[in-house]
Amino acid sequence: MSAVLPLPRNTTRQADTYITGYVARTLNRACGMIVVAFVLVHVVAEAILRVPALAPVNAGLPWLPVVQNQAWVHAILYFCIAFHTLYGLKLLAGDVGLRVPARASFLVIVGIAGLFALRELLRYVGL
Amino acid sequence: MTDAVTMEVKILRSSPSEGVPSAYQHFTVQGTDNMRVLDVIRSIYENQAGDLAYQFACRIGRCGTCAMRVNGVPVLACQERCKLQMRIDPLSPFPVVRDLVVDRTEVETRYAQMALTPAGPQSNARVRPIAPAVAEELCHLDSCLACMVCVSGCPAVEEHAFDGPAFMLKLRHMQEHPADNGDRLGQALDGGLLECFACDACTQLCPADLSPAQAIRDFRRDMIIGSKPK
Repeated sequence: MSAVLPLPRNTTRQADTYITGYVARTLNRACGMIVVAFVLVHVVAEAILRVPALAPVNAGLPWLPVVQNQAWVHAILYFCIAFHTLYGLKLLAGDVGLRVPARASFLVIVGIAGLFALRELLRYVGL
Repeated sequence: MTDAVTMEVKILRSSPSEGVPSAYQHFTVQGTDNMRVLDVIRSIYENQAGDLAYQFACRIGRCGTCAMRVNGVPVLACQERCKLQMRIDPLSPFPVVRDLVVDRTEVETRYAQMALTPAGPQSNARVRPIAPAVAEELCHLDSCLACMVCVSGCPAVEEHAFDGPAFMLKLRHMQEHPADNGDRLGQALDGGLLECFACDACTQLCPADLSPAQAIRDFRRDMIIGSKPK
């Protein structure tokens, strides 16, 4: 069973190495929370920007449309969406029998999600 | 070549039975950089704190007795290299008997409850040989030290009602055994199989090169797709 999986471990320096699983789990949770928080904030912000009855509120928040169009906000959001989706698919794949090396798959997913973030940043500089 | 080093060590000391609250005690240890954590603890015991309680047996990473947390990471003290700054805690989440010695009664009880012995052949039944590949796999799964490093490092154990990766691995061992006819998947589900985050920390931490995470995934696959007939 475990013989076919690469085991990313140095048993003599275990406490020195970072535990990929902890990082992946924390990042996955953080990404999920960021996506949910963004959606909630976005819905409220759009309501304030577009509903006439909320125009007085809108007048007091001139920074609202600016925040929603920041390159770094989009970069973080796209990274989070991509990471959360791909990591979730990886977990599902594991549950149906696919054997995926933990560290390699984590790094690949971070890399792919990073490309999405990079694309957003490049889009804002016109590339 | 080994270099002489000076280590700053903090050990969480407590004695619940005597009502002594837990507190870190600081030690400075002179040694060499190839010492293991257990060597450092022994040095402290022999030279600075003769009342320090700790456990070890084999010193070669095969008994699992010396499991503890070093800088927050569960390790076997006899295998882990010393660090210049060390914070040593007893293995959580187990109750502390004293200093670095934890009570493993619950572990033994749980193993006993799981009835981890395959049913033997009936007297009139023909004994079926086990295929070499299966036997090899069973021997591999049987090499679990029961050190509880994986249980201590498992975030799901901390957060949910989950027995822990070591128990799932033992159940998987029985599930794979051709002579076992127990409902191991049911036992695993009762033990919180679905609470696992699949973070693979147990696999990375296991000192016996086992993958409890894969055992859990195999159980989940069996649950979704169905298991192969024995």
